[in-house]
Amino acid sequence: MIRFFLLQNRQGKTRLSKWYFPIGESEKKRIEGNVHRMVVSRDKKYTNFIEHSTYKLIYRRYAGLFFTVAVDVTDNELAYLESIHLFVELLDSYFSNVCELDIVFNFNKVYNILDEYMLAGEIAETSKKEILERVRLLEKLE
Amino acid sequence: MSIKLRDLIRSVRSCKTASEERSVISRESAMIRTAIREEQEQFRHRNVAKLLFMHMLGYATHFGQLECLKLIASPHFPEKRIGYLGLMLLLSEEADVLMLATNSLKNDLNHSNQFIVGLALCTIGNLATPDMSRDLATEVDKHLRSGSPYIRKKAALAMARCLTKCPDMVEDFVERIVSLLKDRSHGVLITAVQLMSCVCEIEPEVGKGSFVRLVPSLVRLLRNLLSMGYSPEHDVSGISDPFLQVHLLRLMTVLGEGNEEASEQMNDILAQVATNTETAKNAGNAILYECVQCIMTVESEEGLRVLAINILGRFLLNRDNNIRYVALNTLGKVVLQDSAAVQRHRNTIVDCLKDPDVSIRTRALDLIFKLVNLDNVEGLTAELLNYLVVCQSENKSDICTRTLGVVDKFSPNERWRVDTLITLLTIAGKDCDDRVLSASSTYIASSKDGVKAYAVHKLVKAMRDDDGTQEGLLIVAIWCIGEFGDMLLNPHTSENGVSYQALEPLNVISEVEGVTKQVTCTNAIRQRALTCFAKLTVRFAHCDAGVVQKLRVLVNKFKASINLELQIRACEYSNLIVEGGSGKGSLARMPVVDPKVAGKKSLRGSMSSGGIDAGAIANSSIPGGGGAVGGGQDVGGDLLDLLDLGGGTPAAAPAAAPTTNQSAIQTAQSTDADLLSDIFAAPMPTPSGAPTVVPPAMGGGGGGGDLLGDMFGGTPAPLAPVAQAPAPAAMPPQPPVVDMFAPQPVAPAGNGGTTANPTFTAFSKDNLTIEFETRKEDLSSQSCEVVATFKNSGSADMTGMNFQVAVPKYITMEMLPPSGTTVPCNGGGNVSQVVKVTNTQMGTKKLMMKLKISYTCAGAKVEEMATASGFPVGY
Repeated sequence: MIRFFLLQNRQGKTRLSKWYFPIGESEKKRIEGNVHRMVVSRDKKYTNFIEHSTYKLIYRRYAGLFFTVAVDVTDNELAYLESIHLFVELLDSYFSNVCELDIVFNFNKVYNILDEYMLAGEIAETSKKEILERVRLLEKLE
Repeated sequence: MSIKLRDLIRSVRSCKTASEERSVISRESAMIRTAIREEQEQFRHRNVAKLLFMHMLGYATHFGQLECLKLIASPHFPEKRIGYLGLMLLLSEEADVLMLATNSLKNDLNHSNQFIVGLALCTIGNLATPDMSRDLATEVDKHLRSGSPYIRKKAALAMARCLTKCPDMVEDFVERIVSLLKDRSHGVLITAVQLMSCVCEIEPEVGKGSFVRLVPSLVRLLRNLLSMGYSPEHDVSGISDPFLQVHLLRLMTVLGEGNEEASEQMNDILAQVATNTETAKNAGNAILYECVQCIMTVESEEGLRVLAINILGRFLLNRDNNIRYVALNTLGKVVLQDSAAVQRHRNTIVDCLKDPDVSIRTRALDLIFKLVNLDNVEGLTAELLNYLVVCQSENKSDICTRTLGVVDKFSPNERWRVDTLITLLTIAGKDCDDRVLSASSTYIASSKDGVKAYAVHKLVKAMRDDDGTQEGLLIVAIWCIGEFGDMLLNPHTSENGVSYQALEPLNVISEVEGVTKQVTCTNAIRQRALTCFAKLTVRFAHCDAGVVQKLRVLVNKFKASINLELQIRACEYSNLIVEGGSGKGSLARMPVVDPKVAGKKSLRGSMSSGGIDAGAIANSSIPGGGGAVGGGQDVGGDLLDLLDLGGGTPAAAPAAAPTTNQSAIQTAQSTDADLLSDIFAAPMPTPSGAPTVVPPAMGGGGGGGDLLGDMFGGTPAPLAPVAQAPAPAAMPPQPPVVDMFAPQPVAPAGNGGTTANPTFTAFSKDNLTIEFETRKEDLSSQSCEVVATFKNSGSADMTGMNFQVAVPKYITMEMLPPSGTTVPCNGGGNVSQVVKVTNTQMGTKKLMMKLKISYTCAGAKVEEMATASGFPVGY
């Protein structure tokens, strides 16, 4: 199961952080800092996996943005790598050619998309079409 | 006036400095607080959204928590939505405010609008506390049967959260979960499968028991996915819903583990997945990886397992590092089950050592250490040594120690072993730890003369080529030169055709002297060099007088050393090596040590060793000739320290010890505690008391005393095998020890071997009877459990029962705590204690134990010793 989902830019600014286990604010900040330090300094040739404390970080870089999920050590790394990509595709279709600014100005929408995609640290829906239709429908209600 | 969220973001982004940003935020948060205080309802939605933004930037937002609750209570969807989002982001599970949300959540779960229900389920899934889970589980459960798949899938995951928080509820809901598998929506299926995996994790028995009958349905689902043509909705690079496939396989792994029938049902589909999955893209590899893990975990057929390992072998050839990483990881897990199949990919694994990515290299290295066996040890060790050259220095020590383990276990012959160790020292002599040094010296000393000569020649060459930084190499080389320096005077040609020329004595000496003159030379090396010079006076005694004279000069030089230890030793040595001095015996070659014994000792003693100890007095030890070295005891020398020979030369100890009382105490008052502790490889807390506990009893131990000396070597310290040994200082002096291998009245043997748990009386005296019951799970196993049962047939209770056991070297043991320390009188109840023993020489040597029992009975202290050798055949 996913412990947390982070979206950071190259400077370490958090653009999205979702935590699926109880944790205090200061601890969150500390972990976010650690994750950024580890992820940003990795060589491109290295694996996208980092074993860190009691969990495993799986990250992927898209332009200046780092998407990181922390999962249990027994979890399937490759599958989560794929799930990061699916999330990026979701953002890309929703914002049509997503960029960091879209995410900054519409951060609440990004959270809404993530909530339709993942829930309680597990994947809730794998169909891109289904998720996007749902998000758009909910927006109409606002 | 309240600004829009968009405007806030814009103004924050336009800030040039951090302080500017802070002032914008503090102005805005003051506005929001005012708005909260004045209950400006129309801005509540907007304000919470702004708070979320500020929260993400890391500013305090706790004052907005109650606003979220108010928004949740609103009847409108948009306000509820931002309210719940705020709740999930601003509050953590620990917040007290969360309790207040329970009622709103309950109302929303019963709302007629499915989207509002969805919001509530989502919040429960991400945030529920144990209390909330208990209160809301029935409502969540209701939605598992909702008409809308959107609600069903959210309910399934919310349920997973509730059950994780309250595992005791699993049994109430487990049957409902089963029915979810009939669903047609992918979303519901994947959530249901995850929920099941989650249940299996929380309550494995309940979960597996209920779900194992679903294996055929899972198999059918997987088959449908495989045979389904292109479906745009769930397609990921040509594979239909890899996520669902992965989760199905995951659940099957859990259900098939240890279950023959379930595994049988999976066999076909696993083979199908393993052979038909497209591997061009990551998604396909994710499935294959999961499939391999499933095959290796469940009770699958042999052919399938080979197929799985071959898939991993293919992964290793992949150019993608991620794929190679998972392959190495998985191979590491399965190597112990299917070693032969993994061996086939050995070369590919070795190639991974050259990878630029450190995580791949570490994994490959771990795997290689697991792969080493008698057949491939030479090739793999060569690769390990190659890797040692290039790897990061912080890992070198670890690799050295592990390579030593390989050398210990799998060396094909002595020459190879010595060769490997010297190469190891040449590469990483400055990084390896003391164990490697002592093992190298021990192995060299214990090998055949031809190999010794080869080793010492090779070491001299390595020492000459070194730049003086490989401390470990220099230490071993200098020690060996001291020991076997005479062998350098003859040429040597080894079996593999390497030949070395004979060296002149003076050349040998100047090599060693050259090392001590280098700036990088440490005191540890100087200490060894000093001893080496002293020893060479004996080795080169037959050479012309100039050689010995030169050595004397070198030793005398150290008299002026600023290092006190060196100074003292130099003084002592110089007395010893004067013409006609008694040094000859003391400086003779070290007795050969069993490397295994030395290895164990050094493990135990490595905590206490350090520097030159006067304890090195024991280098007077000459096998079987302890008595002959009367005057030599006060010479120092760090040989013992180097090898930590303590346990290996106990025969010499008795001879050395008594004289210590008179001479050594005066000459080396501060270190004589070290003497004993080093001889016996255990710390000695009271220096003044040390000589008194040396018993004179063991003089006649001779060869047979070796084992005995180790076990009851006169001081309490060597009782290391005694699990319960109290602090050494508190122990009374040991009574003279009876040779345990001398004929002993054997305790009446029980009906050995005829029943499952043979029992016999190990000890019986003064109303106390100790019965040993031996248990063994597998007759061929070396380890067994001995249950000692204490019975008291007297009329007074025995209190403070303390039972100690010592075993010979070839046996290892572990004592568990006793069931009590008071044995009630008149057989009114028994006390028992379990001793776990492993007889490493089972078949050739019998299990035997030395017992020491102490207790208080009717006010009198009783102490007894006995030998238990009545163990049944086969133990």
